[in-house]
Amino acid sequence: MSPSRPLRTVVTLTLVGLLGACGGGGDAAGPAPGDGKPVRGGTLTYLEHQPPTCLYLPAAGFYPNGGILNQITDKLTWQNPETLEIEPWIATKWEINEDATEYTFHLRDGVTFSDGTPLDADAVAANFDVYGLGDEKLKLPVAEFVNNYERSEVIDPRTVRFHFGKPSPGFLQGTSVIGAGLVSKKTISLPYEQQCRLKNIVGSGPFTLKKQILDKEVDLVAREDYDWAPPSSEHQGRAYLDEIKIIVTPEDNVRVGALTSGQADMVRYVQAYDEQTVKDAGFLIHAEPTRGVNNGLYLRPGNSLLKDARVRTALRLGTNAKEIVDTLFTGSYPVATSVLSHLAQGYVDLSKELVHDPAKANELLDTAGWTRGADGVRTKDGRRLELGVFVSGPQPLSKQTLELVAQQWTKLGVKLEIRPADAGTQAVDIKDAEKTAIQHGMVGRADQDVIKSHFHSENRDVILSDDEKLDRLLEEESAEPDEAARNAKVAEIQRYVIDQGYAIPLFEEPQVYGSAPHVHGVAFEAVARPWFYSVWKSRP
Amino acid sequence: MTRYLLSRAGQAALVLWAAFTASYVLLQLLPGDSILIKFQNPELGLSPQQIAEIRSYYAGGSPVAGYVQTLLGFLTGSLGYSIDTGTPVAERLAEALPETARLASAAFLLAVVIAVVIAFAASYSTASWLRGALLSVPSLFVSVPAFWLGILLIQIFSFRLGLVPVIGGSEPQQLVLPVLTLAVPISAPIAQVLARAIDQVYAQPFVPVIAARGATRWWILWRHVARNAVLPALTVAGLTFGELIAGSVVTETVFGRAGIGRLTEQAVNAQDTPVMLAVVVLAAAVFVLVNLVVDVLFPILDPRLKGAAA
Repeated sequence: MSPSRPLRTVVTLTLVGLLGACGGGGDAAGPAPGDGKPVRGGTLTYLEHQPPTCLYLPAAGFYPNGGILNQITDKLTWQNPETLEIEPWIATKWEINEDATEYTFHLRDGVTFSDGTPLDADAVAANFDVYGLGDEKLKLPVAEFVNNYERSEVIDPRTVRFHFGKPSPGFLQGTSVIGAGLVSKKTISLPYEQQCRLKNIVGSGPFTLKKQILDKEVDLVAREDYDWAPPSSEHQGRAYLDEIKIIVTPEDNVRVGALTSGQADMVRYVQAYDEQTVKDAGFLIHAEPTRGVNNGLYLRPGNSLLKDARVRTALRLGTNAKEIVDTLFTGSYPVATSVLSHLAQGYVDLSKELVHDPAKANELLDTAGWTRGADGVRTKDGRRLELGVFVSGPQPLSKQTLELVAQQWTKLGVKLEIRPADAGTQAVDIKDAEKTAIQHGMVGRADQDVIKSHFHSENRDVILSDDEKLDRLLEEESAEPDEAARNAKVAEIQRYVIDQGYAIPLFEEPQVYGSAPHVHGVAFEAVARPWFYSVWKSRP
Repeated sequence: MTRYLLSRAGQAALVLWAAFTASYVLLQLLPGDSILIKFQNPELGLSPQQIAEIRSYYAGGSPVAGYVQTLLGFLTGSLGYSIDTGTPVAERLAEALPETARLASAAFLLAVVIAVVIAFAASYSTASWLRGALLSVPSLFVSVPAFWLGILLIQIFSFRLGLVPVIGGSEPQQLVLPVLTLAVPISAPIAQVLARAIDQVYAQPFVPVIAARGATRWWILWRHVARNAVLPALTVAGLTFGELIAGSVVTETVFGRAGIGRLTEQAVNAQDTPVMLAVVVLAAAVFVLVNLVVDVLFPILDPRLKGAAA
């Protein structure tokens, strides 16, 4: 995050008048030409909030990375962002055995990587061997979206089979995620640092790299011979756009101003307070759901103050998520009704449990033996009820959110100590429940396994779990081949996490984009990374 | 003169070595390290064991050995690898440096022009209210945050008036606003010192003598006063180079320029130690070099100092 965030807010406020005036002066929403038929050609100027980091595919979760990799790589399967169904793409069809330990994929013929090498069973096997097992020698870590992977088997040039040690029902969806983008055999055999660099990433996608200025700009150019879009895509063949210019523009004001003044076609990360400016100027806001674990506070039972479940529950009852959304955010950020987004697979509505009840919260803290001191902060056995949390860089308005929560908790007699997002201290302290009692975060992925990614002690482990029951439930969920049974398990986990007071869900976090009215065909994958393949401009 | 130069160059080398050592030690003392920050990223899902292996691969050996190895690397021009992006640090610097050099040198030149105009106009003006107004301009300039000024300039000249694009646009177009943003606060101390020095020179007895011989005010200011007043301003101008580097961090972020400033900001965020170390040493080297140039220029501009330097 830029160090200038507080300043930025001040400037935003002082410039509100100016901005409003600018918006009116920008391009008004012009009508699309004639019949609205797609036009070929043109360059899309897309403004990113942050520069990409390491582009090793399993690290594509970072949105700036995903925004690039989603254009230059294809996946085995396509997850329909509307229905969340898994549809054919590079794999024309597949068979899965009864207990989901064997997946056989039949590949499309004639697909090539941009370096001319074929996208065949060999290449796919090489990709997934790395994503499933990692490679110690090349320092390539295992990908989060593959569970229980054992080995690959090349049956013929167009058929590949994957074997799993335990049932892996999430794998089919795993083959559709952005981190499962397929790269050439040469790319996948490079060491980690080399796979970090964009110029070494050779995919089979509709665009290829033209030029990169590190930290500043990535220019992509359409691949003329591209002819293997997902069959369900209306548009087939070459991409409509000739080029995409992805320009890093860290400053919120500049990004939004450039869009409304016609210097850019599309931007990522429109802050909640800028949404109205964009709309008023006749531009579009795309608040894309991320369909995973909601933005929330995750409480660590290993912390000596939080080991009492009554304290954790009291904190949840004393938190007013609606007030946070109403004060800081917009309608693009729905108030959470569970640990998971209402669009996530296996979601269950827990809004009855997730109520704001400060009276009950105070009562719980009283019964737990925490009494108010002279300064209003509760104490017990000489210890103050004071909890530490880091500002979360990737979360929108994290600091402001935490400040509002701190205000709400003051009424309970709880002090929330908010620490700045300093990468160094954070990397050390965040793994220590005593120092960092609470973590602010979320994670997006359109599969039931997302809840395992967030809570399992061997994955992200946001609560630094020592709860064996939780781990067991998560493992059962990720190894349950039957869809209905799996969703039931996910529901059980959501209830369990709330009952144990591990989570204070706040809101469903979208990715918010703004686009000009002359940009058509804007599409996103299931977790809100832009997909520019079918985008076209009705104005040069 | 040669001895003077050699001793100054020796001092410069010593300062550089000290800067390197101090920053190396300080960076080692920071909590966490770039490897931890990067590989502990939950999205990668590595075990502590794997992280330890990666760390030993990057760091290797004792702190002393690491120090010696890094120092030797720096002396031979090998600055190591950025842990955040995997690119050689020297390559990153080579890409970012020209971008910042263009910005900083143009901003510096503009700052000098602004400073000279303000100082001269103030000295030349006879109306005391105008003089007072001009002399208060530097205080105003120095208190303008570069961040705020940058955004204001963008909003007015790019978004509202549409005179220069911020996105795309040719290199000169892309430079105009950031140069202005950076030049304004830097011009302030130079203008202030120059204006004061001009006043002091005017107060000296030789000025009325020249005036009595019929010299015009402009002649006195330009030929006699300014020449004598330029030395303190030059010293300050040398010192503002530090501010240029610091100011470029903010300016480059606002304008999305991929220079040393942005590189530094990102390296600090990711605690990318090799990049941070290289940036600190580079900044020290530029600073030392500029001051060396200023010191060498002194005796040339002021013949009285030649004896002292010889």
